[in-house]
Amino acid sequence: MSSAIVAQAQSYLSGIPLDVISQGAEAVVFLTTVHPYLSGSMHPSDIQNSSKYIIKYRPPKTYRHEVLDKQLTKSRTAAEARLLSKLYTLEIPAPKLIALDAPHGMIWMEYLGFELPNGQISSLKNWLWYLEKQQEGNTTASIALADSVKQVLILVGQAIAKLHLQDIVHGDLTSSNILLEQKKEGLQPTLIDFGLSSYSPLAEDKAVDLYVLERALTSTHPVYSKTYNKWLLQGYEETYSKKTNNKRKYTEVSKRLEDVRLRGRKRSMLG
Amino acid sequence: MPYYSLGLEGSANKLGVGVIEHPLEKIAAHNHANVLSNVRDTYVTPPGEGFLPRDTARHHRNWVVRLIKQALQEANIRPDQLNCICFTQGPGMGAPLQSVVIAARTIAQMWDLPLVGVNHCIGHIEMGREITGATNPVVLYVSGGNTQVIAYSRQRYRIFGETLDIAVGNCLDRFARTLRIPNAPSPGYNIEQLAKKGRHLVELPYTVKGMDLSMSGILEYVDSLAHDLFQGKKNKQLIRADGSKVTVEDLCFSLQECIFAMLVEITERAMAHVGSREVLIVGGVGCNERLQEMMGMMAKDRNGSIYATDERFCIDNGIMIAHAGLLAFRTGTRTSLGQSVCTQRFRTDEVFVSWRDD
Repeated sequence: MSSAIVAQAQSYLSGIPLDVISQGAEAVVFLTTVHPYLSGSMHPSDIQNSSKYIIKYRPPKTYRHEVLDKQLTKSRTAAEARLLSKLYTLEIPAPKLIALDAPHGMIWMEYLGFELPNGQISSLKNWLWYLEKQQEGNTTASIALADSVKQVLILVGQAIAKLHLQDIVHGDLTSSNILLEQKKEGLQPTLIDFGLSSYSPLAEDKAVDLYVLERALTSTHPVYSKTYNKWLLQGYEETYSKKTNNKRKYTEVSKRLEDVRLRGRKRSMLG
Repeated sequence: MPYYSLGLEGSANKLGVGVIEHPLEKIAAHNHANVLSNVRDTYVTPPGEGFLPRDTARHHRNWVVRLIKQALQEANIRPDQLNCICFTQGPGMGAPLQSVVIAARTIAQMWDLPLVGVNHCIGHIEMGREITGATNPVVLYVSGGNTQVIAYSRQRYRIFGETLDIAVGNCLDRFARTLRIPNAPSPGYNIEQLAKKGRHLVELPYTVKGMDLSMSGILEYVDSLAHDLFQGKKNKQLIRADGSKVTVEDLCFSLQECIFAMLVEITERAMAHVGSREVLIVGGVGCNERLQEMMGMMAKDRNGSIYATDERFCIDNGIMIAHAGLLAFRTGTRTSLGQSVCTQRFRTDEVFVSWRDD
């Protein structure tokens, strides 16, 4: 990654330690050890990790016209922050918003997840890969398809359903955008990266959201994706079925999902 | 003796014929293909008009024999030296495709050569890789009829993002029609020249949807701005910050800045997704220097590199069909007369890439 981007981020946050965790297409994710306005050991009581915080930074894109770039960075960063705070009030698990600097494209949020035994961060992808690795060469026990996996995937489906029932679509569901947390009742999934999220009441958009995840599962976990997806949709349906008038909505989405699968998201193109 | 093939391309308003030579052994960095001839004739319509399928097909029928003769002559190759005849099987406009397929079938039977049908998009990608030496790039394919972000994985060129409605070249061409600027050498080229003189950015819709994009709304919007400008209607959008009036050049500039930024953004997203550092631009719009410049800046921020070609290989041509067809021919692909029907809809990911094994 270009060191100029890190230097630029550092110039907005002088004296704050920054470690690059990942560079996506749009944003760079930093890990830092300090809270933006509380000092030392002070921290809000509902924050999981008091010594680690995430800073998501959208650097200026040099290829874009300056006016266009500023406007896009500001509106996207603010929109993402607004959505995070909305999720907080709706009590849907997501990273909590800590601070926002929209003109510079920066969001501070809570650090979530823990380290897996192999040292990697506990995203659903890494966890499943870790289990799939253990499964290799082991024919007696079922590790990759254990009950705990089923439980987690059902919870993931439920989390997506909760989001969709509020007419929010995530826009970029993949197994790496789902983090697992160690709670008393077991592993709990949390959705992250709401950079492409939007509000939509349409069954079409929700179906596409599910289809994108289905495709992502097929490409990252090819062997078990069918079962994983079945569990996921099971959880999704369960949440919708809790209220009778939501059942109709579920039928609409699942019908649409079948249509989307058939057309493969992308229609045949005229040349 | 090396391999030779003749390629025929006519999926849109360009008719192209090319002859390529492949040395024996696998095509690699040290074993380049040779372009022996690459001739083209473009059907150009008057300002304000697009090319209609029937007229374009007639143009191709009138020119195809002359171009085949010229290509063979320039290459200094006799028909009996050729290994195969390659033709564009799709995607493209129906009538022009058909005219060229008929020519391909005719010479294949006259000279007793096998036919190889080629996907137009695959032709662009393979020629781009051959000319630039990019090994496994993310490909941005932008032309009058196609807008796709493509990456290779397990013997298929997979589409990661594409337009949901019209293609980027189509958007530029149709705006050129609204402005009534000449279609020669190409409408997009003339817009590019006007855009170089533009300074003021007019705000246009910005419609990226994940890895896909949509351009029909932008075209509608900028078209209506142009109509207001020509008719002298009052519009806040047509006043610059200093109070002066927005010009046609400013509109061209703004349109390019907006849609190219969208293209670069989805390409960057695909690069991040597949973890690639190379990007290759192919297709007619790929000649645009501003697009190449923007893509270069994005690649630099990712410590990557950009590969692009000039108008000989960017704009539709016969040589890319000859090249991609010969690659397929050498791995055993033949298209029998019965299978040689062309199709308007032929997706990039339908083709099994038998000549790559990485």
